[in-house]
Amino acid sequence: MSILGSGILKGFGITFRNLFAAKVTRQYPEVRPTIPDRWRGRLDLIYDPFGEHKCEVCFQCAQVCPVEAIDMSGFDSQGNRIRYGMPEIYDERVDPNAYRRAGLAARPMRNPARWDDEVDSAFVRELVAAYQARPEALVAIFGAIQARYGYLPERALRLVSDLMTIHWAQVFGAAGLGGFRLLPSEGHVITVCSCASCRFSGGDALLAALRQDLGINPGESTADGTFSLETSPEVGAGATSPAMRIDTLVYGPLTADEARHLLHQRRETAAARSVAAGAS
Amino acid sequence: MDFSLLLGIGRFVLATTLLLLLTVPTAFIIIYLELKMIALMQLRIGPNRVGPAGIFQSAIHGFKVLGKEDVTPDQADRPIFTLAPWMVFMAAAMSMLVIPFAPGLVAFDSQISVVYFFAIIGLSVVGLLVAGWASYNKYSLLGGLRSAAQMVSYEIPLTLSIVGVVILTGTLSFTQIIEWQRLHGWAVIWQLVGFPVFYIASTAEINRTPFDLVEADSEIVAGFATEYSGMRFGFFFFAEYVALFIMSGILVTLFFGGWLAPWPFPAQLSGFLGSLYGLFWFMLKTYIFVLISIWARATLPRIRVDQLMGMAWKALLPIALVNLLVTAAVVVIFNL
Repeated sequence: MSILGSGILKGFGITFRNLFAAKVTRQYPEVRPTIPDRWRGRLDLIYDPFGEHKCEVCFQCAQVCPVEAIDMSGFDSQGNRIRYGMPEIYDERVDPNAYRRAGLAARPMRNPARWDDEVDSAFVRELVAAYQARPEALVAIFGAIQARYGYLPERALRLVSDLMTIHWAQVFGAAGLGGFRLLPSEGHVITVCSCASCRFSGGDALLAALRQDLGINPGESTADGTFSLETSPEVGAGATSPAMRIDTLVYGPLTADEARHLLHQRRETAAARSVAAGAS
Repeated sequence: MDFSLLLGIGRFVLATTLLLLLTVPTAFIIIYLELKMIALMQLRIGPNRVGPAGIFQSAIHGFKVLGKEDVTPDQADRPIFTLAPWMVFMAAAMSMLVIPFAPGLVAFDSQISVVYFFAIIGLSVVGLLVAGWASYNKYSLLGGLRSAAQMVSYEIPLTLSIVGVVILTGTLSFTQIIEWQRLHGWAVIWQLVGFPVFYIASTAEINRTPFDLVEADSEIVAGFATEYSGMRFGFFFFAEYVALFIMSGILVTLFFGGWLAPWPFPAQLSGFLGSLYGLFWFMLKTYIFVLISIWARATLPRIRVDQLMGMAWKALLPIALVNLLVTAAVVVIFNL
């Protein structure tokens, strides 16, 4: 038996208690959540510098995934249809590699120039032979190739894959690990995130510092072609704001000094390379 | 009434100007309190960016409204459309004239201030109705008609419930009602039935939750204010919060002793100090009722139209009539 109006009083009691209860709002970006070490953020396939998915259906990820969450199917580089679990649907329709994996006529590559780079195959053969095609020498071989060409030409990598009988996915994956370039050096593209979170937490100051440091505005390139600057609201670094992307690597949260330091590193590397090229 | 004789018209002009100016900070304070309190009750933090604890949030809202484009619909009845916000706002602001803020601090200390007050505050329904009509919009018209139906219905129990106080105190002057309460204790003790009726009816009269059917966002967009933008909408918005303040003030005056402290008024305080002391208690009690109204808004869902009407005519009106009868009988029998 409830008295008339007791429900209303109960409601008033709840709101009154809530008045003093702990609040659930998080004061982002002043108060950052503690992010667990194994946090992976939004899961997405990684793109290579040519704008294509790096996934080559090598199943390395599926094999190491402890909860077997990864399934895929497709054609490997040898043209064999391979399947690990349920057919992959994600992003297949827009991915040029998906055309190839599905056995359809490939869409034109976005950067066909990469296929036209002739390499000195004798040089690559000698190089591989010098290391006796040992797999652990792969990175050393990459280093030698990059020292000669300034980057890792696709055809050289294909040749290395054939000569060393290492799966193309593994060769390509190792080349993408860092320190190696897959395109001729055309300067670095620096993208400063202009999303609300980044701008709020100092992104504008970061951009201003970079503009001053490089002497260019967004959308321009430096005179020597080493850097070009642009902004995008979709660097999408989330908790790492203010964020900046150099080519494909995302850095953040950054102060203006840290950003200058990153630019300085790139400058030194470029200077060293140009000295080496001049000597050879 | 030496005061009014000495200052005359000058005092009247000054008082009206001051009261008009008072509406601005009053609305800002109440809007801020509402933003903050509802947020806290919903486990949010609420405004915290503009000024310490966000206290300038509502002022910023006001300036924002000033900067907005003022749109008039093509088919609108232009003169009426333009005048409606002014009518609603002036109904609220004019009724402030008779509110006794403190001893000696009342703009228009009339012998019939109760009648004046309920006549003027009832005018706001005209503004809402013509706003709904002039907008040439179905939602606006629905909101305007709802406001007319609701306010006319609730005027009756509202007025009947205060007749109890009027019979008890034998006067229509707010200051004399307070004087009576100084001698006999707060009227709420004498009007245990009349007070809840007045409270519910006054909440409906100023369209506060749970009686905010007039501008029920989830049903009729924003009711009569649908087509309004810029400062004209701001006037409606202002009037709503000023009306909340006024209704709370009148409630305090009629039932909770106005500017009287809960204990006997210290006799040594007179003149300016006495006014300050009274003002403090009046404001404290008024804002307590403002906070209760905000609390109710955070708690109660909106009621249906049929419930609204049923409540006015089937519950509040009979209760108010019985209360009136009993009060009158008691006054006659015990010759109070």
